[in-house]
This record gives sequence, structure tokens and C-alpha cells, in this order.
Amino acid sequence: MKKFLNGPWVLILPTIIVLTCVVFLPLLISLWTSFTPFKLTKPDTLYRFVGFRNYERLIGDYDFWVAFGRTVLFLTIALNLELVFGLGIALLINKITYAQKTLRTLMMFPMMFSPILVGFQWKYIFNDNIGLLNNFLREFGVINPIPWLVDATLANISIMAAEIWSSTSVFAILLLAGLMGIPKDPIEAAKVDGCNSWQVFKNITLPFLMPFIFIAMTIRSLDVARAYDIVQMMTGGGPAKRTELLWTLISRTGYVDAKMGMANAMSYISIFLSIAFTFFFFYKLMEARKILSYD
Amino acid sequence: MLRLFLSLILAVSFFGSFSAKAETELWGDYSGVTLRVKLIGGGQYEGLYNEVIPWWEENTGGKIEIVTQKNHFELDKEIKKDIASGNLDFCVASNHTSFAAQYGSIYTDLNDIMPASVLADYTPLILDHSTVDGRLVQMPRHSDVSSLYYQKSLYEDADNKANFKAEYGYELTPPDTWDQVKDQSIFFSNPPDFYGTQYVGKEEAIAGRFYELVVANGGALFDEDYRPIFNSDAGVESLEWFIDLYNAKAVPEGVLNYLWDDTGLGFASGTIAMNLDWAGWAAFFNDPENSKVAGDIGLIRAPMGSGGLRTGWSGSHTFSMTETCPNKDAAASFLWALTSNKAQMIEARAGLSPTRPAIWDAIIAEKEAEGDEFMLMVFETFKQSLSLDAFTPPLIPEWIEFTNVLYPELQAAILGDKTPQEALETASKKATEIMEDAGYF
Amino acid sequence: MTKKQINNILIWIGAIFLILLIMTPGLWVVITAFRPQVDIMAKPAVWIPRNLSFNQFETMLFGGSEGSMGRSPVPVLSYLRNSLIISIVSTSVAVFIGTLGGYAFARHEFKGKNSYFFLIMLTRAIPGISLSLPIFILFSKLGIIDTHFGIIIVFVALNVPFTIWLTDGFFRQIPRAMSEVAMTDGCTRLQAFWHIELPLSKSGIASAGIFAFLISWNEFALVSNLARSTDSKTLTVGLMDFTSQFTINWPGMCALAVFIIIPALILTFMVQKHLVSGLTFGGVKG
Repeated sequence: MKKFLNGPWVLILPTIIVLTCVVFLPLLISLWTSFTPFKLTKPDTLYRFVGFRNYERLIGDYDFWVAFGRTVLFLTIALNLELVFGLGIALLINKITYAQKTLRTLMMFPMMFSPILVGFQWKYIFNDNIGLLNNFLREFGVINPIPWLVDATLANISIMAAEIWSSTSVFAILLLAGLMGIPKDPIEAAKVDGCNSWQVFKNITLPFLMPFIFIAMTIRSLDVARAYDIVQMMTGGGPAKRTELLWTLISRTGYVDAKMGMANAMSYISIFLSIAFTFFFFYKLMEARKILSYD
Repeated sequence: MLRLFLSLILAVSFFGSFSAKAETELWGDYSGVTLRVKLIGGGQYEGLYNEVIPWWEENTGGKIEIVTQKNHFELDKEIKKDIASGNLDFCVASNHTSFAAQYGSIYTDLNDIMPASVLADYTPLILDHSTVDGRLVQMPRHSDVSSLYYQKSLYEDADNKANFKAEYGYELTPPDTWDQVKDQSIFFSNPPDFYGTQYVGKEEAIAGRFYELVVANGGALFDEDYRPIFNSDAGVESLEWFIDLYNAKAVPEGVLNYLWDDTGLGFASGTIAMNLDWAGWAAFFNDPENSKVAGDIGLIRAPMGSGGLRTGWSGSHTFSMTETCPNKDAAASFLWALTSNKAQMIEARAGLSPTRPAIWDAIIAEKEAEGDEFMLMVFETFKQSLSLDAFTPPLIPEWIEFTNVLYPELQAAILGDKTPQEALETASKKATEIMEDAGYF
Repeated sequence: MTKKQINNILIWIGAIFLILLIMTPGLWVVITAFRPQVDIMAKPAVWIPRNLSFNQFETMLFGGSEGSMGRSPVPVLSYLRNSLIISIVSTSVAVFIGTLGGYAFARHEFKGKNSYFFLIMLTRAIPGISLSLPIFILFSKLGIIDTHFGIIIVFVALNVPFTIWLTDGFFRQIPRAMSEVAMTDGCTRLQAFWHIELPLSKSGIASAGIFAFLISWNEFALVSNLARSTDSKTLTVGLMDFTSQFTINWPGMCALAVFIIIPALILTFMVQKHLVSGLTFGGVKG
């Protein structure tokens, strides 16, 4: 008992209890339902075991894999663009000394917006009839309204723009923190040695930033499913499934069609996707830490 | 002022005259009883609760506790979750004829509970539509069907008349067929400033619009075994109507994201010539505060399809009582109050279509007395539409799930990703799976 | 002008442009809340607000006038209260529990440590949508649907992993020797933690706190699942009050959004100072 009280587990125990109640137990329940034909409106179906039938159907379900592929693509593009924009913003703000605190707060402005609000907001920005963007373009002579949320390419760009707007700040603040922690000496030394700005950035700043980049990536890949609220409000996956992501598909299958068993089978496949993304960045982070070898 | 006063007196006297026609009332002493209820929220629905709840509480001594009040799609999800978790701790809930079949047997058969004399006060056809598997699971609150609103002045304009006749070879009059709607829409359209018509473009909404057009064109969604048969000529013809309008830019380019608010606000903005829409919008359209077309609105029954039938997708907002309700008598009394003469008159004055014949008479008489010709036209048109044209979607639990496989295919065809035939084949294959899983064949 | 000055001006121009780009979509929401209805839906657009109007706020707080689709008032104050209670309590608890966990991972060696650490992080990666129904069923059996407690515990679970991560990094960079010295001086381990390690990692804890707060404050999908009445509905869930069967009342929604944005903005500004330094060391060293 004493050993337990002095050990690590007593400290981790509260975490474990909370995570068990909110994550592990529910995950077990949804794992079970994915092996049943569970329909919300027919509670009895929860007890009918059908083995891998849901998964077998999914393997042959073209629409599901299209949504899966689009989600991977969406994540990859969105995360990378957020990184690039976030890095740009961080580099710029890092150069500014006057009123930097205010600028930092302004930069974090989008983080105050709940994803659901972001969804409604960008739905109205991209509205073809009364939207902010089309109204703005009209002033510049674009008379024919652009159907942002209908055209296949534009609709995907639109939901991505909303997602990027809402999340780039997270990258920017993390990378800014990284930039401000860079020791000044190596940079000064390199400049004395005649390196130009790009060389300094590539050889000193970037390697130092690497762990921060992977932290940001890990945090964002953990959180990215929050984009569900945005996409659901903007397009709901439509039109004609052109912006269908796994999350919109799962929630419609589960809550509107009430086919929870099938929806949870889809979730499980999507959980593997999340784990893969997270594992990848986490692994990279560990490596980057080793290279910098802080300890 | 005097006129207002007079009309008030008249209203009161008409009110008196039909209640004298002996509405069966369902009061009781329910002091100490609290009913937990889940209701649809939103502007036009809440007025009823504000009046009926205090009225019922005062007359019975019971209490109403509103557990939830949210829009129907959210309420639907909530009730499904309640069923899944066995958490049915409420007595009365808002319902809808299109949704009711999904909920299985959680709602009580009101045939056993409501006295026959009470049921006799409602339109029999609507009670029929409220019945699932022989069980009357809901009391109708108001009914919905669509009629065609249009901008009157467009049809009175001499240039329009002459040009239209020259181009299409027949007189420009408010359309009687959906083909005429197509012609006239293309004729009136001047994108991006003005469009001939519009349609709702996603989810159950477009599936329902497609469904009614298939029926009007002489087809059907399912045969009697619930095998999909909408991949027929009638199906393709119906789908092509949507496609042609879209390609001709006779509807706004964003329609595929439109739901009911977009079409309603669109017509009110004055940039749409014709709009097939629900009765609930009429007062809004004719209110100069909200609408640019106020005072210039015509209304006719929905046009006909090639099968000679008019489109008449219809449904009723209703209230249901749970099987688990511990105070069924009190709940029955409350259900009655929510759909009583008094209640329906409140909603009718807001422009909604009543489900009791007596209220149709009363509201029409009232509008006549007030000299409100617009609302008179609205009620007379919708009365006809409801009695002559209305039909419900298949009242099966799979309806919503079915619309979810249908609408993306309709959209794909409208956007040109697939041919109409291909789209309907795919939808029909998926629908077959749903029906098979549900054990219809 | 020197080259440096030109550089500076260019940087400022760039910064102002960027800030405008970032701010505009958000400010537009705030401005919409203060504009008269006619201006909002106007076509062609009215760019410069002609006059301010508090109509949306009035309607939201006290209900609409008769005829304008008579809206009932939105219980903003209950929502605000719920949001504050839920976010503050869940953030405090998450930070507390997470700091304990972070300390354990930083100061103790045990078998499979890295795997446990990764496992805890992963819980955050599970899409809320796969959890929402089981959580609902579980919580309804426990009778904690529509309570502050139920929502708070979900948020704690949501925020603990990140807190562990940040604080773990912080505790690691504090030399063990410092607390060991204190302990040989007669402090208990707890006292050493309280007087030495905790103050040194306060900016890390503060930044974990602000992230946790923003996530709780803004979360929608999971809360909308668990909150049903004014007993527990938060501001973000309240946004859905402005959607009804037929219409989305966008200007009204913007008015409520102002209530969501302002408190978060004030808090962020206050904690700002700790945020950057907190993040600098927390995640990296380890």
C-alpha cells in the first residue's frame, strides 16, 4: 500500500478513472455494437450478434471508401497548409517587437470561435446569393455569383478554407513559442560567418522548430475531427456527396438513418486512421527530440 | 378602429357559433399531475404553447413541464437516443406523420384512449394518415401541403404576355402543369438577378419533391411489396424536370444547398417568379416588413404532372403520447387541448392549415368578415389542395433512411455527374437493400 | 531610409495585411450582431454600417415583437452561467488531474511508460462521434444526462491528455536535485512539489489551462448530446436555438456569438503572457 502511494500510479489513477468512464468503456460498447445490426429505434437489435457483417459490407462499399479517401486527402492538405500559413505568421510576428502582445492576441482571434459557429459563419460567407464573398466580388465586377458550395472543387476548397481559418492560429502560436525559444547566439554566429537569411532559416531555425512543428501536427491531428461541426453546417457532405467526409457519413448513418451498428463499424475504421496520423507525428516528434537531444 | 372592433365582434360570434356546434371537450381534474413533454420549438410553433399550456393548467389543475423544445430534426435524434437508451421518461411529444412510423411502438394507440366523439371532430383522412399499422399514434395539430405562390404582376404585364405567346405559342397564365412551370421559369429567368422558380435541393426535402412529381407523372416510388420502381420512365421524366431547370439557369445556382428557409426567403426577396411552398409562409410573404412581394402575390393549387395528377406531398404536425406515460388520462386531455378548436384557431390565424373541418369554416368566415382577401385566398386554396391533392409519403419506418440514399443520387444527376437513368438505378439498388434488410421481401 | 527601416515597414505592412485577413471573417460576425436586419440581407450589400442597432440583443434577451415571427427570448443568462460553470470547473479539474499525471510521468520510471503515455494521448484522437452514443447510454443509466456533472467529466477526459503532455515536459526540465535538496531539508515530497516544482511550471500549467478552457468553451457535438434543457445547455448549444424548422436566424445567432467570443477573448488576453513561454518548454523537452 505504501509502495502504491509513493509510486506513479496513485498520481495517474484519477486520469485512468476519468478516461475509463468517458473513453474506454464507451469504446467497448461501440465496439460491441459494430458487430450487431443495432438500430436506435429497435433497442432489441443490440443483442443480436452478426459477426463481421457490417465490416464486410463496408469493405465493398464504394461510397465509404471515397469518403475515406477524401478525408485522408482533406487532412493532409489542410494540416500542411495550416503549417505553412502558421509558420509564415509566426515568422512575421516574431520580427515585430512593438505591440507584439496585442498582435499575438489578435492572431488568436479565430480560436475564440466554436467550430459550430465557424460552420454557420462560412456557410454565410460562401452563400452564393447573399454571401460576404460574392457581395465583395460583385463590387469588383464579378456579376455572376460563384456557386462556392456547389461546384465540386470550389466546395472542397471552401470547407478547407473554413477549417484553415479556424485552426491556423494554433499552429502560429505553437511555432511562435518555438521561435521565441531559439537561442540567439548560433544565429548571430552564422550571420558573422556570412550566411544569408535563407541559409540561417534552413540550417538553424528550421531544425530547432522541428519538434514544435511535430507537436503542432500531433495536437492538430488529435483534434481534427472537430472539423465535423464545420463541414456538417456548411455542406452536410453534399451536394451529391462532393464534400462527404467520414464524420458526416458516420453521423448521418448513425443518427438520421439510426443504423448505429453500421455507423460504429465505420467509426472503428476511422479510429485507425486517427491513430495512424497521430502515431506518425508522435514518432517524428520523438525522433526530432533525439536529434536535438535536450536531456 | 371601428372596423377592427366590428371584426372582433364577428370573430367572437363565429367562435361562439361553432363551439355551440358542440366540440367534445376532454377536461378532468388532474391536480397534482405533472406531464413531462417534448415539443418542437421555433418561431411559428411556440405561440400555441404559450396559450394552450396555461389554459390547460388552469382548467385541470395539472402542470406541464417542458423537457425539451428544439427543431424537429434535433428532436428526432433526441427521441431516437431515448429509445436506444430506454429512457422514455416523458408523456407527450411533438411528432410528424412522416416521422411517426420510425418510432415503433413507443407511442400509445389513441384509438383506445380518445373517446370516439373527440376523434369525430377531426378530418377523417388526416386521422387516417396519422395511423401506423392500424394504430392511431398521434393527434394532428396542423397539416401541410404545398401550393404555388407567384408574383401576380408578372402575369399582368402586357409585354410579358405578348413575348411569351410569341415564343411558346400559348397564353401566359399561372401554370396548370409542371411543363408550363418549366417554360415560364425559363422565360422569366434573367440570371443572376431574377429566376423563374427554385426548389429545395437536399435531404428529405428534395426527395419529397421528387416523390410528389413522380406520382403526378403517373409513377410510384414502390410497388405494393415495397420494391423500388421509381427507376421508371416517370422517374426519369421527373428527374429531368429538375435537371432542365438547373441547366437552363432558371433556378439559382445554389439550389442544391437550399432548404425551406432559403426558398421562403428567396421568394420574399422578390427575385423568384414562382415558388411551390407551404401554407405557413403566406403571412410572411404578404408582410411588407419582411417581403418585397407583399401585395403582389397570387396563389394556385400545385400544377399537374403528365399523369394528370397534381403534386400533393403532404404531412401533418402532430402530438403523441408515450406507452410509458403514467397519467394517460391527463395526457389525453392535454393532447386534446393542443389540437382543440381553440388551439387550432390560434394556429389558423397564423396561417397554418387546421385539421378540424369546423376550424376551416371558422377561419374562412373570419377572414371574410375582416375583408382580408389575401388570407381568404390562402385558406381557400389550401383547403382545396388538402382535400383534393394531398397524399402522404409511404408511412414506413424506412422513409427517412430511404430519402438519404435517394437525394445524393438526385443531386448527382442534377449536377451532371450521372445520367438520370444511372442515378435512379443506383438509388433503386440501395433502396432495395434497405427494404430487404427491413424484411419487406 | 536605411535598409533596416524599409524592412521594418514591409514587415508591418505584411503583418497588418495578415491580421486583417485573420480578423475579417470573425469581425464580420460581431458586426452583423449590431446591424439592423434590413442591412444584413440587403442586395447589393451595404458595406459601411449606417447605424448601430441593438435589436438582435433585445429580441434575444426579451423576446421579439408580435408579428416578426414572435420569437420567445433565448435564456442567454442561463446558458452563460452553464458555460462558465462547466468550463471553469472542468478546466480546473483537468489541470489538477493532468498535473498529477504529468508529474508521475516526469518523475517516475516504470515499465511501459512510453506506451501508457501514448495510449493516454490517443484517447484524444478518437472522434467524438464514435463516443457520443455510448456515452449517452452510459450516462443515462447513471442518471447524469442534462447535468453539469456529466458534461464536466467529459470535458475533463477531453483535456487531461494535453495537460499531461505539457506539464510532463515542464517537470522534466526542472532539475531533480532541486526538490531532492528541499526534501533533505525536511520537506515532504508534497511540500517540495508545492514550493519548488509547481511555481516553476506555472506558465506551462497556465497554457494547458487556456487550451483546456477554449476547448470546453467551444465544444458543441458532445455537449449537444448530453445537454437538453436550460439546466445544462451551454452557449454553443444555444446557437441551435436560432435554427428552427424553416429558418436560420443568422443575425440572432451572431448576437449570441458575441457572448461566446468576448469572455474567451478577455481570458486569452489575460493569460497571453504565460502562453508563449508555457508552450516553449512544455512540449519539447522530454
